[in-house]
Amino acid sequence: MLAGIARRVGRRLLASIPALLGVVVVTFILMRVLPGDPATFFASGPSAGQAEIEELRRTMGLDKPIPVQLVRYLGDIVQGNFGRSMTTGQPVVLDIKRRLPASLELTCVALLIALAFSLPLGVFAALRQGSVIDHAVRLLCTLGVCVPTFVSGLLLIYAFYYLLGWAPDPTARIDIFSSAPPDITGFYLIDFAVTGDWEGWWAAFRQLMLPAFTMALFVLAPLARMTRASMLAVLGSDFIRTAHAMGLSRLRIVVAYALRNALLPVITITGIVFSTMLGANVLVEKVFSWPGVASYALDALLASDYAPVQAFVLLMASIFVLVNVTIDVLYGIADPRVSVA
Amino acid sequence: MKRRVLLQSAAGAALLAGGGMPAMAQSRAETLRYVTGATINTLDTTMFGATRESFGLSMNVYDRLFRFGRKKVADYWVFDPDKIEGELAKSYSISADNKVITITLRPDATWQDGTPVTAEDVKWSLDRAVSSKSLAAPQFTTGSLTKPEQFKIVDAQTLTVTLDKPDRLALANLCVPYAIMVNSTLAKKNATAEDPWAQEWMKTNTAASGAYIVESHKAGESTVLRRNEKWAGAPGGTPPFFRRIIIQTVPEPATRANLVERGDADLSIDLAAADLPTIEKSAKAKLVSMPQTNGFTHVSMNTQLAPFDNVKVRKAVAAALPYDDMFKAAIFERGRKLYGSDWTTPPDPSFPQPIPNKADPALAKKLLAEAGHPNGFSTTFAFNVGAAATAEPLAALLKESLGKVGIQVEIQKKPDAEFNTLASERKMPFFADGATAWLPYTYYFFYLYFTREQRWNFSSFKSTKMEELTLDARYQTDKAKYDDDCLKMIEIFAAETPLIMLWQPNHDAAMAKSVDGYTYQFYRQADFRDLKRV
Repeated sequence: MLAGIARRVGRRLLASIPALLGVVVVTFILMRVLPGDPATFFASGPSAGQAEIEELRRTMGLDKPIPVQLVRYLGDIVQGNFGRSMTTGQPVVLDIKRRLPASLELTCVALLIALAFSLPLGVFAALRQGSVIDHAVRLLCTLGVCVPTFVSGLLLIYAFYYLLGWAPDPTARIDIFSSAPPDITGFYLIDFAVTGDWEGWWAAFRQLMLPAFTMALFVLAPLARMTRASMLAVLGSDFIRTAHAMGLSRLRIVVAYALRNALLPVITITGIVFSTMLGANVLVEKVFSWPGVASYALDALLASDYAPVQAFVLLMASIFVLVNVTIDVLYGIADPRVSVA
Repeated sequence: MKRRVLLQSAAGAALLAGGGMPAMAQSRAETLRYVTGATINTLDTTMFGATRESFGLSMNVYDRLFRFGRKKVADYWVFDPDKIEGELAKSYSISADNKVITITLRPDATWQDGTPVTAEDVKWSLDRAVSSKSLAAPQFTTGSLTKPEQFKIVDAQTLTVTLDKPDRLALANLCVPYAIMVNSTLAKKNATAEDPWAQEWMKTNTAASGAYIVESHKAGESTVLRRNEKWAGAPGGTPPFFRRIIIQTVPEPATRANLVERGDADLSIDLAAADLPTIEKSAKAKLVSMPQTNGFTHVSMNTQLAPFDNVKVRKAVAAALPYDDMFKAAIFERGRKLYGSDWTTPPDPSFPQPIPNKADPALAKKLLAEAGHPNGFSTTFAFNVGAAATAEPLAALLKESLGKVGIQVEIQKKPDAEFNTLASERKMPFFADGATAWLPYTYYFFYLYFTREQRWNFSSFKSTKMEELTLDARYQTDKAKYDDDCLKMIEIFAAETPLIMLWQPNHDAAMAKSVDGYTYQFYRQADFRDLKRV
């Protein structure tokens, strides 16, 4: 079975290469078709004139025809060189290396919180269909999805930081006056735990809670609703009735038989939710000054800064591929029939 | 490979600094936490694309030969372009023909690595500014500083700067953010054959002598500065109050306002207008507001494109705008009006000053008819997304009132990069924008914004008379004649109306009640050297 999984993963990864290449080319061309010339934008210091713009265009390689630029860019990517960001002044690879763990840590924790709440909520709503609990869950989900993250984020900040003073100030990954952990994985919670600095761990954890809950609230709806729907379908099926007839305990029926079978669509939606969260958490990152990749890409996009945007899109596409492959593997674990095919 | 080693050592330094944390926690009172929405993208201000935030950092980290003094206007400190003081220079003298400036350096000045500042270092820095491909060179040409041969070493402490003509802005140009003085020994060690001026290295490293030393720099996140205890340029020999400065990027304006209001951050200068009244009422924070004396918000018309090539059309637009409503809606009257005066000849040679423009729809209609547009015309009006908070209400009011005189306006909101490109290519007929001149002398305003075909001539204004006047004023040594030139420039401006001056918006600095001494600087950033906690 393991060999089968490995073979399938390999095949999927290989098949994704043309797609990734397509993403690179399309982003590359799209950035150049968009109105707005980075050379003009970045050379607009006081008293800078046409000569400076031309000079900058030359150093950025923008004076060459687009096909030549594309070939050069592809060559650079193969060597791991993604160019330099004009907005931060750093090589894009360095920027992303520092910022990706921040985004991943936030997204993973938010997803865990969302799952921890949505699975039980969905299950309860399905078991008590049409009850007060069901309606309460529906209301919560609707609220979560209706309120944009920057509104819920600002509300949470207002309540927990500004009024109550429970949360630390919502800026960055750790209190600015204390020191960051040594850079091992880039995930602060893991790095602090590895070095045994529990005071630091607690500080980072507190800092993470508000943004993570903001994001979790937003994705609660798809997860809980999907769990509910799929649980309802499973609960109505024959084998559950058989289990009831055999006199199995209710807990065993719900958890071991119904939930496991209901998880398949939930896993699919979790994968999609994860990818969306990673790319679309730009508002949360902005509101909480979280130094992640999404806000980095948005800043670059507004400034027509080509290199970071291109690298970001490629990164997201790669993560999407990886997430999909992971989900395939998880399918196999949840439902062994899948891996046979 | 070399880069990697450097980065590792930088990370190591940050770690060491982190080890001293408990001591630093005690000195919270001596630490200033500054929050901003922008990013410091380079430690070398002369680099293409340097953000305004990096200018502010550079002024605190690097010394220049000279700096502007400051004066009190009402209750607040504002920079004074007419008072030029030595920074790395101890003193200077100007020859009788105004062509040779002799500069004596401070004998006790040292670089942040402890080595003494020499005349060779200063010469190298000035050569770098005029020779390297950067934003410094075009700026320096406005002071007739163009080639290395102009800078000569006399002895270890003395240099001369020789000008072809007595340019009135030569000295002032040595005060601007680009005029950094660099530790040449250190920079040369990190220069390469392709990069003789160490531009690549200086983007992420400093070779400075200024008041603050960069302790750590994470672009887009935070930058930490430590006071330079050996700073020779301290005014009156008193070092700056704050031992440590934390500059933090906080993109959300509401969060910045919360931080200042709760007393967790000490200073922010880019809050949303809507948050300012809360700060004013707050128990822990206060607001320091003053008009940006060197700036102006304007509505520009492309004088080379029909129908705005007709001066009567431009004057009609100027008569149709609802100035007071715009002033209220766009900036809540937080600024100085640049409209509504009564003069027929300018009262004084200062600029920007209130221009005799008033809302007068009847006059607007009459002028439009005379210009051959009795039924008006259609046009587009653009502004950039970055300025939307003020430009959006402005544009809506403009559209409404121009509609009443028959001019149909379509509003276009453009992303910043696109707006910049269009402005640079002179493709927009009609738009709103803002401008600030680093060197706020009347001649410089007109030279920069109303002559030559270049990015900052917003309205593509062409006038031979204006070119002649700015040229004469530039090298004019007789003050009376210079003032006369300036008055004539203002007259031409009022008669031709290439663009419509609206107001000077306020510079609003929100800070903790305990922070004092804030000065409005020409580069519109906080100067940490003047600040103290009382």
